[in-house]
Amino acid sequence: MDGVAQLQKQLVDFTDSLFQEGFLDEQFNQLQQLQDESNPDFVVEVVSLFFEDSERLLNELAKALEQKTIDFRKVDAHVHQFKGSSSSIGAQRVQKVCIAFRNYCEEQNIEGCLKCLQQVKLEYSLVKNKLETLFKIEKQLIAAGGSIPT
Amino acid sequence: MNETHPECCECTPLPSTPMDTPLRNVLDRISGFATPWRRQSGPAPRGRRIFHRDVERQDHQFQYGTAHCLSSYYSVFVARLAIMVMLAILIGLLTILTWHFTRIYTTKSLNSLAYGLRNELLQRPISRMWNIINSTTEITTAQLKLSEYVFRRYNKPATQAEQVEQLYEVMRDITWALFASRKALNAITINYKNGFVQAFHRDHRSNNTFYIYSDLTNYSISAGGSNEINLLSSHQSWKDQSIHGNISAIWYQEPLDPVTGEKIGKAKPIPPDDLIKIAGLSQVPDGVASWHVAVSKYTDSPLLSAALPVWDPSNESIVAVVGVTTALYSVGQLMKELVEVHSGHIYLTSKEGYLLATSTNAPLLTNTTKGPKLMMAVDSEEKVIKMGARWLQGAYGNNFSQRHEIHAENARLGQEQYFIDSFFLKLKRLPLVGVIIIPRKNIMGKVDERAFKTLVILISASLCILFIGCICIFILTNGVSKEMKLRAELISHLDARRRAEASSNYKSQFLANMSHELRTPMAAVIGLLDILISDDCLTNEQFSTVTQIRKCSTALLRLLNNILDLSKVESGKLVLEETEFDLGRELEGLVDMFSVQCINHNVETVLDLSDNMPKIVRGDSARVVQIFANLISNSLKFTTSGHIIIRGWCENSNSSFDIGKFPLNQKKSRPAHKTKLKEQGSHTKKACKQDNRMTLRFEVDDTGCGIDPSKWESVFESFEQADPSTTRTHGGTGLGLCIVRTLVNKMGGEIKVAKKDGPGTLMQLYLLLTTPVDGTEQHCQVDFSKQNLVVLLALRGRMGRLIMSQWLHKIGLFTVEASEWNELTQILRELFRIRSSVYNNGFDAQFSLSEPLSTKVMNIKDMRNPAFIILVDIGLLDLSTDIWKEQLNFLDSYFGKARFAWMLSHDTPNAIKMELRRKGHMLMVNMPLYKEKMIHILEAVIKERNLEGQKKSSNTLRTTKEGDLHEYLEIDATQFDVASSDDSDISEIGSSNSVSGSQTGEKRRERLRKPGSSGYQAINNCLVELTRVYSEENYSTERDPCHVRLNSHDVQNEEPKCCTRASLSSEAQSESSEQHLVISCPTAQGNIYSSKAANEQKSLEGVRILLAEDNPVLQRVASIMLEKLGATVFAVGDGLQAVDALNCILGAEDCIRESIFEDRNTRTQTEIKDFPSYDLILMDCQMPKMDGYEATEIIRKSEAGTGLHIPIVALTAHAMSSDEAKCLEVGMDAYLTKPIDYKLMVSTILSLTKRTA
Repeated sequence: MDGVAQLQKQLVDFTDSLFQEGFLDEQFNQLQQLQDESNPDFVVEVVSLFFEDSERLLNELAKALEQKTIDFRKVDAHVHQFKGSSSSIGAQRVQKVCIAFRNYCEEQNIEGCLKCLQQVKLEYSLVKNKLETLFKIEKQLIAAGGSIPT
Repeated sequence: MNETHPECCECTPLPSTPMDTPLRNVLDRISGFATPWRRQSGPAPRGRRIFHRDVERQDHQFQYGTAHCLSSYYSVFVARLAIMVMLAILIGLLTILTWHFTRIYTTKSLNSLAYGLRNELLQRPISRMWNIINSTTEITTAQLKLSEYVFRRYNKPATQAEQVEQLYEVMRDITWALFASRKALNAITINYKNGFVQAFHRDHRSNNTFYIYSDLTNYSISAGGSNEINLLSSHQSWKDQSIHGNISAIWYQEPLDPVTGEKIGKAKPIPPDDLIKIAGLSQVPDGVASWHVAVSKYTDSPLLSAALPVWDPSNESIVAVVGVTTALYSVGQLMKELVEVHSGHIYLTSKEGYLLATSTNAPLLTNTTKGPKLMMAVDSEEKVIKMGARWLQGAYGNNFSQRHEIHAENARLGQEQYFIDSFFLKLKRLPLVGVIIIPRKNIMGKVDERAFKTLVILISASLCILFIGCICIFILTNGVSKEMKLRAELISHLDARRRAEASSNYKSQFLANMSHELRTPMAAVIGLLDILISDDCLTNEQFSTVTQIRKCSTALLRLLNNILDLSKVESGKLVLEETEFDLGRELEGLVDMFSVQCINHNVETVLDLSDNMPKIVRGDSARVVQIFANLISNSLKFTTSGHIIIRGWCENSNSSFDIGKFPLNQKKSRPAHKTKLKEQGSHTKKACKQDNRMTLRFEVDDTGCGIDPSKWESVFESFEQADPSTTRTHGGTGLGLCIVRTLVNKMGGEIKVAKKDGPGTLMQLYLLLTTPVDGTEQHCQVDFSKQNLVVLLALRGRMGRLIMSQWLHKIGLFTVEASEWNELTQILRELFRIRSSVYNNGFDAQFSLSEPLSTKVMNIKDMRNPAFIILVDIGLLDLSTDIWKEQLNFLDSYFGKARFAWMLSHDTPNAIKMELRRKGHMLMVNMPLYKEKMIHILEAVIKERNLEGQKKSSNTLRTTKEGDLHEYLEIDATQFDVASSDDSDISEIGSSNSVSGSQTGEKRRERLRKPGSSGYQAINNCLVELTRVYSEENYSTERDPCHVRLNSHDVQNEEPKCCTRASLSSEAQSESSEQHLVISCPTAQGNIYSSKAANEQKSLEGVRILLAEDNPVLQRVASIMLEKLGATVFAVGDGLQAVDALNCILGAEDCIRESIFEDRNTRTQTEIKDFPSYDLILMDCQMPKMDGYEATEIIRKSEAGTGLHIPIVALTAHAMSSDEAKCLEVGMDAYLTKPIDYKLMVSTILSLTKRTA
């Protein structure tokens, strides 16, 4: 039980730190609230969907920005999607960078876009790591027989 | 001269005068030259027109050039300059050429003319000379011939002596005859070989004629004898003799009658050669005729004498010499005559330079000691001649006479210029030189003058033309350049406009982004506050503070949105919403909000709405609130003490107030009543669109510093403040009133500052708002006048008290006012003196009420069974010390006789509240008192009384419960956010353990209300029960009976412990079933939602939703959300798929529509599920392939005519109301922003699906 309690505490702390550092926001809570017995892996499912989608989008973005003549509308559409998906899982730091990214897109500022792309990638990998860690702890917790604290 | 002048002048412009000189050719040629010139320059207008056209053409080119290139704007100046310079050069050349040709031509023609003239002038004296010389020659020849004849006749030696005598006689006669015939002759002399001299002399001055002869005695008669001997040497001998003879001889002079030749006087001897010079042999040295000029002592003019020898018949020897002398006087005379006309000088000189004749009277001879001598021309006394001669000498040397002719035109003699011409006369042995000196002025004077004038005129004319041309060009190019300037300006304006448009685009883009950015932190603040509010460990005071903060935050968020939208107002893009809202409630909320500030300011905020104000109006509630918020905050800013009154009344009084609808003595409980109101509102909305437009007038009256009348208009300008110094003291940007006016105007109203008595400002405005026709209700539905209520208003604020008491009077209640503690106690004593004998002691003797008050009190005393309501301002208590406890104790003594309602302010210490509650004072309201609150208080009191009446065994708990309920309702009323879920949430208090995780926030929020009634746990259940009724009622009215049943069952399932509820809810059911026609409306959403929240999960049971969302994550999240709520979700990736999905069911839909319609009544949900139709579409706006707008348009198009209308809810990441407008424009029904707000989504979906169901 000690280990469980520790794990629980670790999970809570970690989650709190994610919120405090601004990686996640209220939306993630909502996601968690949506998870119940009928679909116990909902959060993981959505987040992994997000990962897949994001990686695709990031690839396409990188491709689009490598072109000689950049189709900013396309880039903008991609960023918009990325923003939408990140906001719906509550990855708000990614979302913020996306907002800046879109502004650069409208200005047709290539350098800004490239910079933002790097930032988005960075933020994305950060949040991905964090979420993966989070899920790992949760898994451990469940494996240890504890329940996830709400 | 005079004739030639005009000719000369005229020939310049028009060389038409025919001329006999070769000049004509030249002229023709010149005119040939001149004509083309003249054609260009002569008729100035035509020339200029050509020029003009050129300029225009050029300018056109310029225009086109510069239209393309703005930077070459200065080329106009260059062009102008160039054209001017060209013009100047052209005109200058023209002038010079004209003048030059004129002058050359004139000069040439004049010169030739003058030459002819001078020639002619000279010709005449010269011909005269010729005449003289010729006549002299003739006479001489005649004399000679006669002499020869006489000599031959008398050359007989035999009769020599007589013959000589006869010879002389004959000779004398012949000579006389000749002499007499020639009057011009001066003298004729005959000098014989033997020295005898015969001469006739005519003195022209004295007009005497003399015969001069020498003494005969001196001559040997025998001279003839030696004739033959000395033939060869005759010359010598003749000479010697004559010399000799001449010296020794005595000459006689005989005066003669000039006509007849008769002797008229005695002969007297004169010395030889005294009178005249006798031509002798010496003058004919070689035996031929000779000429010379002689001078005589007695004549002042030189004489021309000719001498001829007379040969003897044998032609061997000279017998005599005949001499003829003629005076040159007549030549001079002729010259004078000529010169008199022409004014000049003519003179003749001999070859050596001696003057022979001049046209002047100057003497020609000089008197020397040796007698008169000829003068040189250079020595002449006449200056002109002298200078002329000198000039000639200087120019041509001494031998100028050798040349034939000299023509000098510009000889400068002295001051003037002269023409000098000399002619050479070749006379045999006497060559002559004639010189004419004519002042240039005489011939050329006028020509020169005219030439000068012409030049001046030409120059001035050309200057004029140049000047005018320059001006023309200037004007022309000025026009052109003006046009170009205009064009440039236009272009720059266009540019600026484009830029401005771009920047405004940026601005709105910026604002769109900003709205996102601004709302996020605000949302966070509000969310955090919610968390804080739901915290259990907050004290009551903290809770109220936090609640206030939350309200203010909401207001701030609203304000933020407004500001963001105001930029749209300025760009004309503001779209006013048209929704129904409760105007009174909004204003009350506003006043509540501002009252916090007011209390700090010592300012009283009073809301005074007339009873005829419509309750529900249609309009943009946010904007209306913003208008008043701005006005109130503005007033507040400048008001340090006094009051702010918001008055409102309806001008359109003809609108129907259906008072009759409500029974005056309605005993319904308040919640039920409220439901009824809502029903009505929703009913009207659904039922009729016949809106009633009405003018709502408002006044915001404050007692602040006021506005100077001159600034009344300008305070509504942007960034304008009445007094600039206020910026320092009060802050603010000066935008507030500007926004207000913009909004008011937008709503079809007007705002102005009105005149006011006393200090402060009075803002008057009116708004044109539509009201649902039946929605106009009176505030006072319950007739309080029959209730025998007496209200004691113990309030500090004067205005508020006054207005409240007036209103209470109006609705038929008795009021007594008190403004301070002592007054209150006094009135209380007075009122209850009779009724309660316990307190009827001597205290009251100290105080005496004023006259009107006491009469009032007396009236009240007369009332039968009055109910007293005492409204006590907490400020009346002395809170600084502990006296307030004693005061409360004093009031406690009246507790049974009257109902106390307490007016709390926001800073009322918690201890006091606790104390009040402890003492059982449950009616507490927050500070600003307005009608709605008053009504609540009154209703609470009435209800309490009724309950008391109903249950004889009235327990205090019930009473307190009621009180609590009403206090609670009070709080509800202050919340102007519609989405309050209070009623239903209270139900959760009782069943808190069954509430799921998602509801914790709300549950907590409710729990926090618990402290308010925490002391009364016992009543909780009852409270729950009661409110349950309310919520159920609410609920049932919003849903059709079937659902009500369903949901009420849910409720039962959820909370099976509450056994009493079942009956209550069924009761509610029965009540609501009467009203099953009523359909929900957006204003009721809050309640719908709250009900749903109560039944938690399955609120969307059976709703089929088509979700069009391209983002897989969002898609997943949304579908899970919806599924959790019981909805069936079909997810598609883009608009095209959504349209396809719809199309394939549309056909099926058509055929089964009817059956559905019928089935509706049977309420078998499974049937509905069988048909793959959708109840609702959630449509993302931005999607690949086909976006949400497009898809919606297509769907709506395909629906057209079928009568179907699938509700479509937009999902968008943009939060601007323009996006919303766009969504609604394409046919969407509602609008949700991403990330999806769970509650809002549910309520939206519910409202839409129910509406169509």
